[in-house]
Amino acid sequence: MYHKTKLPAVFVGPTMFIMAVLAFVPTLFAIFISLQDRELGNPDISFVWFANFIHLFSDRRFLNSIQVSLIWEVVTVVSTMVFAILVGILMFHSASTRWKNWLSILFIMPVLLPRVSAAFVWKFAFHPLFGLLTYPYKVITGQPLDLLSEPSLALMSVALVDVWQWGLFFSVIVLKLMETLSTRPFEAARIDHAKPWEVYWYVAIPMLKAPLISLTFVKMIESLRAFDLIYVMTRGGPGIATETLDMYAFSQGFIESGKISYASSMAVLMMVATTVAFTYIWKWTQK
Amino acid sequence: MKKFSLGNLLVQLFLGLVAISAVVPVLWTLINSFKYRVDIVTDTPKFFFTPTLDNYIYILGRESLVGGVVNSLTIVGTSVLVGALLGLPAAYALARYPMRWAKDIEFFVLSIRFLPPVAVAIPLMVIWLGMDMYDTRTSLIVTYTLLTLATTIWLSIPAFKAVPPEVEEAAFVDGYGPYAVFFKVALPIAIKSLVGALAFSFVLVWNEFLIALMLTTSDAKTLPIVASELSQLGRDVPWGILNASVILLSLPPMLMIGILSKFLNSALKKKRDQE
Repeated sequence: MYHKTKLPAVFVGPTMFIMAVLAFVPTLFAIFISLQDRELGNPDISFVWFANFIHLFSDRRFLNSIQVSLIWEVVTVVSTMVFAILVGILMFHSASTRWKNWLSILFIMPVLLPRVSAAFVWKFAFHPLFGLLTYPYKVITGQPLDLLSEPSLALMSVALVDVWQWGLFFSVIVLKLMETLSTRPFEAARIDHAKPWEVYWYVAIPMLKAPLISLTFVKMIESLRAFDLIYVMTRGGPGIATETLDMYAFSQGFIESGKISYASSMAVLMMVATTVAFTYIWKWTQK
Repeated sequence: MKKFSLGNLLVQLFLGLVAISAVVPVLWTLINSFKYRVDIVTDTPKFFFTPTLDNYIYILGRESLVGGVVNSLTIVGTSVLVGALLGLPAAYALARYPMRWAKDIEFFVLSIRFLPPVAVAIPLMVIWLGMDMYDTRTSLIVTYTLLTLATTIWLSIPAFKAVPPEVEEAAFVDGYGPYAVFFKVALPIAIKSLVGALAFSFVLVWNEFLIALMLTTSDAKTLPIVASELSQLGRDVPWGILNASVILLSLPPMLMIGILSKFLNSALKKKRDQE
């Protein structure tokens, strides 16, 4: 029944053609631009081949932005997963059904907020003079606390917002995943006088290994989208303390100099790195 | 198991605190959006104040914000619609029909998500400038359609797979053609989950920021861009207006929270039923 028809070709063909055009035209064009010396408002264009890429590796701001991006990626992915597993298990273990349902709705809310809104909401909470979060510090010490202007704290303060959005959301998923587990291994462990944390650590988490790895993968991809938070909260500052790769590419291409080709060469490197890394991880998780 | 203990009390307290942290920042923004500036810019946070609708009246009368709302609704609405029209049939075919490249196509659809938005936005800016279509709604709709297509297909494949094959086979036996089976059987049965998938793709592009920031300057600016510009204003930040515009921007995703949480529940429950 599912064989003698052209339906798959009719339904999939045109859609895939459109998607391929929409995806490959910009990415190939990005590579093309990165080999030139285009600047905004300058009509003279010539090929410089790999000069942009070579220049990148002596650009200290670029190297700094790689470092910031890597720190961001590790910190947000690890904290999100640890927080989500911890809170998810605590909800599973001790919340009543009604309380669980309420928490599930509340914890999904932050991730649905536009990043711009989340960034603003927290930027105001961090405000040294009028912020809700910094208020206790101000009362106790008499000094204003300016988290976002402190180079050593700014990136972590922005990361907190990311973990607030994704950690809470993932804790709900961990809870739902726990609820799908069969209860028998838990009872067996309990009969053996295992302590609750031992039951979760040695029984539940290993049973959820595959979905937890998939969640980590999703978070790794989503963590690449740090731009919105950083743009609204710090604009890469103070100095270049929170300047991630996409933030630096944006400021090279748009704010400071309009060096479209130079910015594009960074984007191409990012694209190659993420595609290679995630294809590899994806193939690995599918095994 | 649920007997009273100090440990349990601490856990409940901790969960309560986490719940507060999830809600309070947003609630505080909501409260501040009803305050006069003098009640926001205070040494001590103010919980009692004379509420005002001035901020909302101001933003709803301001051209840039209203323009942002209209742009966002048109651009996001159209790209979600096109994503559904092209994406749902494709997802159905991928879910039901044996295809030689099915795995590769699924991976291609997922890999759209890996693409760094800057890597798409920079070349597209040059392309749209060259075609004299930079800063138009059409250019943003076309760009966003890639995102809505990928999301819709990715989330709808499991929804179509969940339709019992026996029902479709019965329809074939009754003399339905393959297209009639899709439109009259599979689509109506899967519609609940499909609405969830479309809601997700709506939220995704409604919230999108980086691409819109690079591809628009004035005419086609979406609401997130307009709202972020307000927050970059110099010293005399109009806090009340800013709070109100953030609430306005966050309203559509918040209204969909019910649909989305149901979608999440059913997506995760299916896993249990399969085992």
